[in-house]
Amino acid sequence: ESKSQCAVLGKGGRTRYDFPDLGINTRKSIAHVRDCKTGSSGIPVKVITNLYSLLLPREWQLYQYHVTFNPEFESRRLRLALLYSHAEFLGKAKAFDGVILFLSQKLENQVTELLTETKRGETVKITITLKSKLPPSSPVCIQFFNIVFKKVLKKLSLYQVGRNFYSPSEPVVIPQHRLTLWPGFAISISQFESRVMLSVDVSHKVLCNDTVLEFMTDLYTRCDRAGFTEMCEKELIGLVVLTRYNNKTYRIDDINWSVKPTDTFPKRDGTDISYVDYYKQQYEVVLRDLNQPVLVSRLKNKQKDSIEPRIVHLIPELCYLTGLTSQARADYRLMKDLVQETRLNPERRQQRLSRLTDNIQRNSEARLELETWGLQLECQISLTGRIVPAEKILMQGEMCLPMSAGDWSKDMRNMKMLGVPSLDTWLIVCSNRNAEIVKNLLNCLRRVGGPMGFRIEYPKILHIQESTLAFLRALQQHVNPEVQLVMCVLPSNQKDCYDSIKKFLILDRPVPSQCVLARTLTKPGMMMSVATKIAMQIICKLGGELWAVEIPLKSLMVIGIDVSKDALNKGSSVVGFVASTSSRITRWSSHCIFQTTGTDIADCLKVCMKGAISKWLKHNQELPARIIVYRDGVGDGQLKMVVDYEVPQLFSSLTELSTNYSLSVVKKCIARFFAEADGSLRNPPIGTVVDTEATRPEWYDFYLVSQLVHQGTVNPTHYNVVYDDSGLKPDHMQRLTYKMCHLYYNWPGLIRVPAPCQYAHKLAFLVGQSLHREPSLELTEKLFYL
Amino acid sequence: MVDANLVKGECTGTIKFTPPLYKQRYQFIKDLVNKYKLRKVADLGCADCSLLWMLKFCKCIEVLAGLDICENVMKEKMHRLSPLPGDYLQPSERTLIVTLHHGSVAQKDPCMLGFDLITCIELIEHLEATELEKFPEVVFGFMAPAMVVISTPNSEFNPLLPGVTLFRHPDHKFEWNQAQFQSWALDAASCYDYTVEFTGLGAPPPGTEDVGFCTQIAVFRRKYPNTGETINLEKSTENPYRTIFKAVYPSLKDEKYLRNAVVSEVINTAQIITRRLLDSFKSDYKEHRNGLLELKPDFQLPHCFTRHSKNPSVAEAEKLADDINMETYVSGNAVYIPLIKFFSIPKVNKLCGTFENLSKLITGKVALSNDGSAVVISTEHEHEEKEIE
Repeated sequence: ESKSQCAVLGKGGRTRYDFPDLGINTRKSIAHVRDCKTGSSGIPVKVITNLYSLLLPREWQLYQYHVTFNPEFESRRLRLALLYSHAEFLGKAKAFDGVILFLSQKLENQVTELLTETKRGETVKITITLKSKLPPSSPVCIQFFNIVFKKVLKKLSLYQVGRNFYSPSEPVVIPQHRLTLWPGFAISISQFESRVMLSVDVSHKVLCNDTVLEFMTDLYTRCDRAGFTEMCEKELIGLVVLTRYNNKTYRIDDINWSVKPTDTFPKRDGTDISYVDYYKQQYEVVLRDLNQPVLVSRLKNKQKDSIEPRIVHLIPELCYLTGLTSQARADYRLMKDLVQETRLNPERRQQRLSRLTDNIQRNSEARLELETWGLQLECQISLTGRIVPAEKILMQGEMCLPMSAGDWSKDMRNMKMLGVPSLDTWLIVCSNRNAEIVKNLLNCLRRVGGPMGFRIEYPKILHIQESTLAFLRALQQHVNPEVQLVMCVLPSNQKDCYDSIKKFLILDRPVPSQCVLARTLTKPGMMMSVATKIAMQIICKLGGELWAVEIPLKSLMVIGIDVSKDALNKGSSVVGFVASTSSRITRWSSHCIFQTTGTDIADCLKVCMKGAISKWLKHNQELPARIIVYRDGVGDGQLKMVVDYEVPQLFSSLTELSTNYSLSVVKKCIARFFAEADGSLRNPPIGTVVDTEATRPEWYDFYLVSQLVHQGTVNPTHYNVVYDDSGLKPDHMQRLTYKMCHLYYNWPGLIRVPAPCQYAHKLAFLVGQSLHREPSLELTEKLFYL
Repeated sequence: MVDANLVKGECTGTIKFTPPLYKQRYQFIKDLVNKYKLRKVADLGCADCSLLWMLKFCKCIEVLAGLDICENVMKEKMHRLSPLPGDYLQPSERTLIVTLHHGSVAQKDPCMLGFDLITCIELIEHLEATELEKFPEVVFGFMAPAMVVISTPNSEFNPLLPGVTLFRHPDHKFEWNQAQFQSWALDAASCYDYTVEFTGLGAPPPGTEDVGFCTQIAVFRRKYPNTGETINLEKSTENPYRTIFKAVYPSLKDEKYLRNAVVSEVINTAQIITRRLLDSFKSDYKEHRNGLLELKPDFQLPHCFTRHSKNPSVAEAEKLADDINMETYVSGNAVYIPLIKFFSIPKVNKLCGTFENLSKLITGKVALSNDGSAVVISTEHEHEEKEIE
């Protein structure tokens, strides 16, 4: 019901479900947080948010009417004209799409009948029936506010591209990469804990200065002709283009190489016209290249009942690419220059936000749009968060309280790692040219290994030619079951070489492996820190433990889940599932399963969970008393699926057990928090928890800042506990989550998400990018994916 | 001027024009604009702005204005007259300003002065007698554009149209026959020193040629040269029209966009030159070593002074740049390309006009040598790659 209303609201019948997770109330079923979901520990800290409250008159309601015409008219335009001819009767604030009418003031009667005359002298009866009165917090009303604000932003000459709004008249050009950035905003109105608020964040749209045709031509000169069409499709399909002649964006679904601009297509009036003539007639555009293919885009169905998707053909010469191609993404310098322009510190971010809100207040048309409805944009919301206590890092026989929770590599210098196996039998494969480098590395490894408590025996070193084949041949000959670890020193970061090595050592002859770029080992003055990092990674890959934090709960199993796309097979996604196997939460077992994109991942989660439980039993001889799951990779609109299918499936095998469990959805959010210090805005201190005002009333949710950011603005992580029968107090849940962010062994410091999520991400990413097959079961208890 | 073969008598006897007559009327104006390369056009009674929307694509158009008595009908689709996001990506060389006014053609407002063409498509028949009376003075006397096009229904054609009893549209106050329209137009023309020619759209079916076109059109041309807007401006200091929409299109005339365009062109060319140069070094180096060794990743460019190889995209510039001062050279980790070289690229030359302007536009946006005479492209990062962790 609410969906169809939303669809109707979109002007021109454009169906967009922007707020799919609206109205899913999970808090009411979690008994112990129904009344209070806030924590208590930690030092209070005042933070400024990117939320603005929306002031509404008392008792404000939106009145939804249904409008019928007798006789009926097909034309929406005519319906509008007829109803609006009674404008004075209906007052000013109105929104009408031809069927549903919204008013901010109630009509006198439940049913109003109007008589009106068309220009042809025909008498028409309009019947306006009150359907519902909507309070500001109702989902339809929230959607309505969002539409009002879209209109407001358009009045400020911001253009909607995709979901967000941009200002093309203030372009930032990055000429060395032929890119243009449009600054803009992501906005949304939601019902927050106690009121309806507007959240605003800065967004940038990346556009290529070149047309798709220019991109294709460039690609043609750079790759061999035989592979051109395939390469072109690989680079372009899935990207979004902006056309030169209208305000729309299209996703490229295919390229049709057999259609040329001189071919014809049927116009709406039934006549045929060639693409060349059409663009000349309609837009005075002369196509230069008459041999270019056409881009194919499938439009989403407006009506659900029509089966055939509408197909449009786009001329590459008239399209600009938005976003980045995979080629561009792989360009380290491009990404660096891009980040330079898009990364804003809290102070600059705040300036952008203020400029937008000031513009809304100053622009009379924009303000009028709000005022007609009785809406008023109020000040930015400040609230009090808490900085949860810092965690001690437990090492072997001693502990440290890091100077900065963001990076404790210095604090743990000369401390022994928690549990370290020795490295007795191992291999190093490197090219002849890198023999010296490897000798040097080995020395350094043994030097840093000592203080860690890591004994490293001398390896067997294989000198080979610099080719992928030579690497594989060496591995085939020398990797046997006794080998604990293989280190490969790669001459370059060629993806196929890395992929081939990983495939062989994970799928064919499973053994932990460590790849190192030769170049990394030649940086002067960096050798000791590089060696330290490598030594720690090797320890993890052998199944060792580096450090721990205090976990007050006994018999707690923590699980992380993330989803990644398969780079080879676009229709397939990879589910990474990582579960702790020790009560100190220092050892993990992993599962990785392929899933057809678009289907529920619930079924495979059940399989993963069974595996995790049996591994736990093997090590602990009893079932875990508690299971806490962190679910990452939930897209917009998938929350309902998680709540309705994943939670029951995950825990279905556990119902008879006395285990308590909870599941939190982990998400990057558009909420931003700034702390004021010395008259300027900064990132809030690491460990800041926010569980009031900026949260949602229908959820058991909180924000946690668990990442140290030196440049730019920190992204708080949003945790939405959608199921919890553990009775664990919110305060304990928050602190436990914070502890989990300390346990990622690839970085001696806090990270943005709980460690199991990051492990699951690494696993799914490795499998999706390099392996394309499920890893061998022999490696499940090792962090081979780091 | 008009294709005569536009009428199709169908077997039912009803008359149908293909394309529809309203489209033919717009096309008529568009053809006129393109033919005479008109820059400033105003449409009186612009309604939903369809004509203005068509005209904004004409490359010669710089100013468009619309006027209508009904604000709502103008507002309905006026957003179509805003610049498109794509317009900002490659700003046009011309300027374009589109304005919509709410007001009556019986009122004089200085915003309508100085136009090359004023169109009144199917407008006059909607005017009340008092408005019609003032209309010639406002349009020909006050606005006094170089050209005026007025179209109106030809009542003699009405019997051929199915279902038309009195007028074609209930809001029409009158519909004239050919003689009435022509006499009105001739009067106006002689009174305000214009010439007038008559034409039309929608030819009658064979055998009924006397009836004339379905739509009759008068094209007026001012006989006297543009005497300047100042005289007319003095006539009225009032502004009875209310501006309800104004869009300024991005243009290379605006320094902000010009600078971006020049900087992009310079950097892009500089990168092509640099890449070619480095490639030629690499191949030299390989040849020198007889192909036995691969390029070392930390390969440094030799300190040398050399002409780089021909580049097709700047071939034309090369021809002009046959001067020792225009040498590109490599020093340390950077390539130095004389600025004068970029000025000889036709596109840059056209954009900047003068060398000083080029220099001014790119200063602060492109790395230049100390004396500002050369563009510096660093080659230091050429081999930098992302690490595998």
